[in-house]
Amino acid sequence: MKRSPFGRIWPNATAVLLFVVFAFPVYWMFATAFKPQGDIISEDPVWFPTDVTLAHFDKAVHADHFWTLVRNSVTVTVVAVLLSLVIALLASFALARMRFKGRRGFIVTFMLAQMAPWEVMVIAIYMLVRDSDMLDSLVPLTAFYMMMVLPLTLLTLRGYVAAVPKELEESAMVDGCTRTQAFVKVIFPLLAPGLMATSLFGFITAWNEFPLVLILNKGIEHQTLPLWLSQFRTAFGDDWGATMAASSLFALPILILFIFLQRKAVSGLTDGAVKG
Amino acid sequence: MPVHTQGTDTAGEPAVRKAEAPSGPRGTTRAATASRGRRAAAAPYLLLLPALLATLILLGWPLVKNGMLSFQNLNARQLIQHLTEWNGAENYQEALGSSEFWAVVQRTVYFTAANVVLIMLLGTLIGLLLARLGRRMRLLLLLGLVLAWAMPVIAATTVYQWLFAQRFGVVNWVLDKAGWHSMADYNWLGTQFSTFSVVTLLIVWQSVPFVAINLYAATTTVPKELYEAASLDGANSWTSFTSVTFPFLRPFLYATTFLEVIWVFKAFPQIFAINEGGPDRLTETLPIYAFVEGVGNQHYGMGAAISFLTILVLIVITSYYLRAVIKQEEDEL
Amino acid sequence: MKRKLIAAIGVAGMLFSVAACGDDGGDSGKSAGPDSFKGQTLVVWTMDGSAPADWTKDVQAAFEKKTGAKVEFETQKWDGIQQKVTTALSETNPPDVIEIGNTQTPAYAATGGLAELEDLKKEIGAEWTDSVNQSSIFEGKQYAAPWYFANRVVIYNKKIWAEAGIKGTPKTRDEFFEALETIDKKTDAEPIYMPGQNWYFFDGLIIGQGADLVKKDGDTYVSNLADPKVTAAMEIYRKYASFSTAPKDKDEATPQQAEVFAKGKTGAFIGMGWEAATAVAANKAIEKDLGYFTIPGETADKPEGVFLGGSNLAVAAGSEKQELAKEFLKITLSDEFEGALAKANGVIPNKKSLESNLAGNAVAEAAAPAAAVGGTTPLIAQWAAVENTPNPIKAYMTAVLKGKAPADAAKDIESEINERLAQEN
Repeated sequence: MKRSPFGRIWPNATAVLLFVVFAFPVYWMFATAFKPQGDIISEDPVWFPTDVTLAHFDKAVHADHFWTLVRNSVTVTVVAVLLSLVIALLASFALARMRFKGRRGFIVTFMLAQMAPWEVMVIAIYMLVRDSDMLDSLVPLTAFYMMMVLPLTLLTLRGYVAAVPKELEESAMVDGCTRTQAFVKVIFPLLAPGLMATSLFGFITAWNEFPLVLILNKGIEHQTLPLWLSQFRTAFGDDWGATMAASSLFALPILILFIFLQRKAVSGLTDGAVKG
Repeated sequence: MPVHTQGTDTAGEPAVRKAEAPSGPRGTTRAATASRGRRAAAAPYLLLLPALLATLILLGWPLVKNGMLSFQNLNARQLIQHLTEWNGAENYQEALGSSEFWAVVQRTVYFTAANVVLIMLLGTLIGLLLARLGRRMRLLLLLGLVLAWAMPVIAATTVYQWLFAQRFGVVNWVLDKAGWHSMADYNWLGTQFSTFSVVTLLIVWQSVPFVAINLYAATTTVPKELYEAASLDGANSWTSFTSVTFPFLRPFLYATTFLEVIWVFKAFPQIFAINEGGPDRLTETLPIYAFVEGVGNQHYGMGAAISFLTILVLIVITSYYLRAVIKQEEDEL
Repeated sequence: MKRKLIAAIGVAGMLFSVAACGDDGGDSGKSAGPDSFKGQTLVVWTMDGSAPADWTKDVQAAFEKKTGAKVEFETQKWDGIQQKVTTALSETNPPDVIEIGNTQTPAYAATGGLAELEDLKKEIGAEWTDSVNQSSIFEGKQYAAPWYFANRVVIYNKKIWAEAGIKGTPKTRDEFFEALETIDKKTDAEPIYMPGQNWYFFDGLIIGQGADLVKKDGDTYVSNLADPKVTAAMEIYRKYASFSTAPKDKDEATPQQAEVFAKGKTGAFIGMGWEAATAVAANKAIEKDLGYFTIPGETADKPEGVFLGGSNLAVAAGSEKQELAKEFLKITLSDEFEGALAKANGVIPNKKSLESNLAGNAVAEAAAPAAAVGGTTPLIAQWAAVENTPNPIKAYMTAVLKGKAPADAAKDIESEINERLAQEN
């Protein structure tokens, strides 16, 4: 099929336009973060910061307990995501490969669990944690973050496990592997991209969580970065420079993680996606 | 522990039986087989145990607690003094009896529908475009998509507020320079429609990459032969899409639509941070409404009741898909 | 009936918790001296920006010297503060002393979460200015101590005023309006920046008219928005807003009015002292043009009414260190430290006699004269609910400025206000 020049150009032109649309807000965040205050609130936007300043970053990083918050955020996020991956992997194996009574019930349970409106359950959670004497601790926080991402992790992983051809596992078992060995040696490596893709959702969710940590952990030494991000937005309005600098720092780890894992994730999604 | 499942055996797939038979250890006695069988039957439950326990404790328990709160008159005073004042179904009666609640339900449904349609439509189109692009252009577009996708919600919300800020926001400046001078100092948060527009743009911007990239990934798995066969039959690109690509992607599209419905319906920080459900509470969707009534006004019992109703509405909306899943699970395996 | 019952339970619960804690405190209180409190640490929550670092250090030292105990200041962010304070008060180990916004104090007192401070008031509160102590009193009893206050002033651009040929600053409201008119005619600047929802300025005008936002209707409070005096206040507001091109449906924080002013194309705005710093941060060049004066009232001898924003210090009823907390209040609110805070932050102190600390601070000197004629929002526990976002009074203001008759606008909004006022506590 021959294409007219127009037919060749429009997909590329559209792609460039879309790139700009999708990337611009991210660019603008970084650009604002580097601009001096005068350039930020100027009548004509300064598209490319020429007069670069690090003052906003300086302000953002020097907030109280910044590094404690970083450490807490990383700990809580990583542990929650890893835990949910392990738990979900076990469960997804059962759900994808075994037939047993109540299987459908379990699947529907996890689908429903995905619908939990966490933001409006914070008071109930708060009262439970308070009455168990576990306020101001990273443990309940991690546990609840794990739970927030578990249903989706589980259902997605189930798709990946199901997508691994049964024959592979079977032939491994023909070769004398037990089912556990077959799983570890054959299926698990094939699941790696799927695990990475799935973990991205978890990272984003746990990294972003805000209402729960706000109510459970009042001491700043037990808080996480989203609270720090919000402090530049005071009751009196916004300090856009500092807010954007903080947003940039906050987004950076996830952006890097995504770009780094993107290829693997995409190929992982290919496997999971078909099964859905 | 050998996680051998008798369960899979009964799945009725001959291949599995054939494969399993030789793998079983030789010379097992009947008794051993029987005990293995029991253990094997327990295996799926053991595998599911951690997930179930977690769900029970970390979700089930708060839900039950939330349910109990929804039958209480629980305000700041009761919370502070640890008082329990049951008030029957009063919270539910009040919520269901207020026209405001039903207006919010209706608004939430429209809002969800509009966003999901936009997300799925644009996501699919961009996904198909990705499949059509050359390598370099594809990488460029993928990069843009990934940047938007990976942006943490709180950061993204803040950036959008800044883009649409009334006085120094870049959007108003561009519209003004483009000749639409009345937009120079336009207040995007001034009306229901314009606030929803900003929120929708934000949500669509953040959600499209997920759909587009997944859809692109899925198209790469469509067997080439199908297209060849279609083109032999004289299909143009549209008919080959409707006869090959679309049927192949249908389960994926269903699953994604289901997820997007849930995500948009539950969208909280996007709406709340942009304008706190304003102006005049006109952009409150159900989760925001529950939060404002509950935490904001410190009527926690009321908030709990509304959050329960929120879950119910969401289940009703997604029931069609849930039913399909249950049916499908019957046929599978 | 039910409401009364609930109230009774509430009071009983309150007495119980106060009594229980009083016992603990009583024991250690008898031997109050450096040794009895040794090893204890008092936790104090202050809001972001309230307690300057040097001042905090001095208070800590004085406190330790007098009681032998340590005091730890924990700075709180504004985001989600109401939820944070409420939940903290419900915990077994709450912060001992909490800074609470003056308008929110009655609502917290009603929850039973604050300890009663009658004896403290008797001991150190004789000279507290009436207008600033009002908010600490709930149902006739003292539940907090007034700490610091601030009110709005006119911040103006001297250059623009000079350009318009205006000499001196207006002493009456009419003179002020004349000046704004002159600026409008003689310069291309916006005479004043007045968005439609500067609700606390409106509240000041209501106070100036001697009006009340609520009235009693039998047992309950209902909206008084349709009162002719409130309408008169709104008419004054409308006149101010007519000199501005600011959005009618926004408040002074979006956009930050100080940043708009910083561009040098606005004659004046009505704001808090710290907003001048915001303006300078946005545009250094504006600093030399900044001037301040008291918002002029009807006549030259009485400034316009102002909303007195500010903070009280309260002791958590659940705190186990009641006596120590009171010791802390005595030190913090002593002339020495109350004066030092006024000086450092340019805020209005809780006693008239300490206002001398404001000398040399142009903003505070402009603000202080109005403090005595200042007021707050209605000091009833239910009021906090009215101001919850979205504040219906802001909707009323926007409606009037967009051309609705005040009486009609009030009628539209009153049912919402009454509904909020009727909410059970």
